[in-house]
Amino acid sequence: MATQTVEEMAAGLFHDVAIPTIHIGMATCGLAAGARSIEELVVKELEKRGIDARIVPTGCIGMCHNEPLVDITMPGKYRVSYRNVKALIIPQIFDAHFVKGEFAKKYAVCQIPIAGHTAYEGLPLMAETGFFKGQVKIVSSRCGLIDPSSIDDYIATNGYKALRKMLTEMTPEIVIDEMTKSGLRGRGGGGFYTGLKWKLTRQSPGEEKYVVCNADEGDPGAFMDRSILEGDPHSVLEGMLAAAYAIGNAKKGYIYCRAEYPLAIKRLRKAIDDARERNFLGDNILGTGFSFDIIIKEGAGAYVCGEETALLASLMGERGMPWPKPPFPAQKGVWGKPTVINNVETLGNVGHIILNGGDWYASYGSEKTKGTKTFALTGSIKNSGLIEVPAGTPLRSIVFDIGGGMLEKKIPFKAAQLGGPSGGCIPASGLDTPVDFENVIAAGAIMGSGGIVIMDEASCIVDTAKFFLKFTQDESCGECTPCRVGSKIMLEILTRITEGKGQEGDLDELIRLSMYVKSNSLCGLGAAAPNPVLSTIRYFREEFEAHIRDKHCPGTVCANLIKYVVIEEDCTTCGLCEPVCPTGSVTWDKGEVAHINLETCIRCKACVDACKFRAII
Amino acid sequence: MAHSDSAATVHITDEEIDHICEEFGNREGAVVQILQTIQEKYGYVPAEVLERVGDDLGIPHSKMFGVLTFYSQFYREPRGKFILKVCVGTACHVRGAGLLVDKIKENLHVEEGENTEDMLFTLEPVSCLGSCALAPMAMINGNTYGKLSGDKMVEILHQLKDESSSEPVSEANPAS
Repeated sequence: MATQTVEEMAAGLFHDVAIPTIHIGMATCGLAAGARSIEELVVKELEKRGIDARIVPTGCIGMCHNEPLVDITMPGKYRVSYRNVKALIIPQIFDAHFVKGEFAKKYAVCQIPIAGHTAYEGLPLMAETGFFKGQVKIVSSRCGLIDPSSIDDYIATNGYKALRKMLTEMTPEIVIDEMTKSGLRGRGGGGFYTGLKWKLTRQSPGEEKYVVCNADEGDPGAFMDRSILEGDPHSVLEGMLAAAYAIGNAKKGYIYCRAEYPLAIKRLRKAIDDARERNFLGDNILGTGFSFDIIIKEGAGAYVCGEETALLASLMGERGMPWPKPPFPAQKGVWGKPTVINNVETLGNVGHIILNGGDWYASYGSEKTKGTKTFALTGSIKNSGLIEVPAGTPLRSIVFDIGGGMLEKKIPFKAAQLGGPSGGCIPASGLDTPVDFENVIAAGAIMGSGGIVIMDEASCIVDTAKFFLKFTQDESCGECTPCRVGSKIMLEILTRITEGKGQEGDLDELIRLSMYVKSNSLCGLGAAAPNPVLSTIRYFREEFEAHIRDKHCPGTVCANLIKYVVIEEDCTTCGLCEPVCPTGSVTWDKGEVAHINLETCIRCKACVDACKFRAII
Repeated sequence: MAHSDSAATVHITDEEIDHICEEFGNREGAVVQILQTIQEKYGYVPAEVLERVGDDLGIPHSKMFGVLTFYSQFYREPRGKFILKVCVGTACHVRGAGLLVDKIKENLHVEEGENTEDMLFTLEPVSCLGSCALAPMAMINGNTYGKLSGDKMVEILHQLKDESSSEPVSEANPAS
């Protein structure tokens, strides 16, 4: 295989390192789980024991559910990953490695192979664990392994090799050919062929062109781009350099990053400074006469700016309102000049494709969606995190093999929401859908940028549809009436249904409005806004009807429609539910089945949460 | 993010505004960045400051107002010392972010987007902060808090209150 294996990649990071290395996951998810205080404790423990070791922060390896993650690499040995590291277990891990010369079995997840080093016995390799088996890491291959703030780590793992190869051995036309061969399609959700986009921009006449990286990842439940920016920022810069070289006449690029990602912006700033210092950016790059530089623009909080024309408007200091296409950005983009605009993940793949060839990339994936796709797997699932799989991997395998199944074993799978506010829900009957652009659309959702939110039977499908519509309604820029007014009326209907005031005919009206908003909105945001509503009505019409006709919410989420009752057979008469009720609506006597007074019940769910036997529903 | 210490208004001289605009070459295209710079320094963008920026860049006031109000991260009023950015994205929503917001409202007697009377807190529900595995989560002055519950949130609020009564708030930065 042309590409570098994990072993080889890891070996580059330990070249000439004679002391132990401790990697700590310091992406946003790691920090939220307390990685900062773990780092302090590790430093203290090292000092206490007088051990000379290097501490290296890394990005997200994807196991967000296991954060904080700490990896220990002893000289000459494989790298051992520890999960959910807490203060108390640090001394135990240290004892195992630094005193006994082994690993702490109880807390280790897996070991990451390093070429030339030796393995531990009795610990699975990373690729053998359920979470990583079935994954193919290309764009996220460095995330979690390297120090994202070290340009040397990037270079040690084949970084900027593609740039050198491209500038010295390839013409721009050949670069475009390789991209075309790879079959890579826009990973932000649009799915437009990257090679074709570059070709069109190259053909567009202009002495001045621009490259824009869309890092305005706004879909709720999606964090693929954040993970790449925080874990491997240089790969995005290298992708932009390739785009600039391919389209010709591009001296300047912009990264438009949402302001909610402060760490990603910090990492990018450092990466750009370091790349300039080593002449991978700037004038006369690597002495080849090619010049290109990158500027970061921070978003100011507007979801619609993820839409490319809105993003360009915002980039130029305007209200972030989309414009009707044509003109396409390839013809008239930033400052009216031809512009290539690609998403973070798309650009992150470019270096790998140039280095290993378009055919290599196209050997992964399905017929029409080549390569791999990253997904943010979240919701009621055991292994939440960032995953990368070949396009066309069945949804079932993502949820039950990699995802490890449902978060709570007793509550079954209900639906997977794909594609965020522009996407839809796929029910259990669609679990065998191959996840690629075409098949997911046929199933009523979209692959989108890659957010997959798993819902179990305890969630309400109507509430979910309402949630997404409220989101798009809030974020509608207001420019065109179908989106601005249409989504508002739809939201009013859905809100009424969840409040128990649904009427016969509401569903037909929702579908009618959906079709209208879909076909008449100006940009992608409006055109896709009805998707969550349409897909949920398609698969879960009965649940909508239960809300409308029976005034009943099967998922027990819609507060107005909940009637909590105690199931006599399941009640163990333990009485745990009685004291937690804030209104005294739960009555219970020793040895008796509890009773709930619905007149005074405020549906706070405290008794449901208190019951260990799921006897209150 | 820097904030003026619980002051109702801030004083920014015209010279200071001119200076910031000049740093960006008085370019019309940099208006979003100029406003971001001003807000970072002063916590919000007062009306008279907005006008001055418009004059400097040669942009009509109507358009300046349009840009400022389009983006959710610009503020026209002073805000609290601690900004409670509670994520209400999909994953957090599914795991009970709504209850978290309710708990804060109840505890601090504020509505969404409002400041507490003592100007200590601002409640600001936001869409997806991208840490869905730790849902429900919140970001307070740049620090992230994961796997929250209503009780944990109340605990954090108390801690922040105690902290601020004993010392001035430090510049929290997740990326330091």
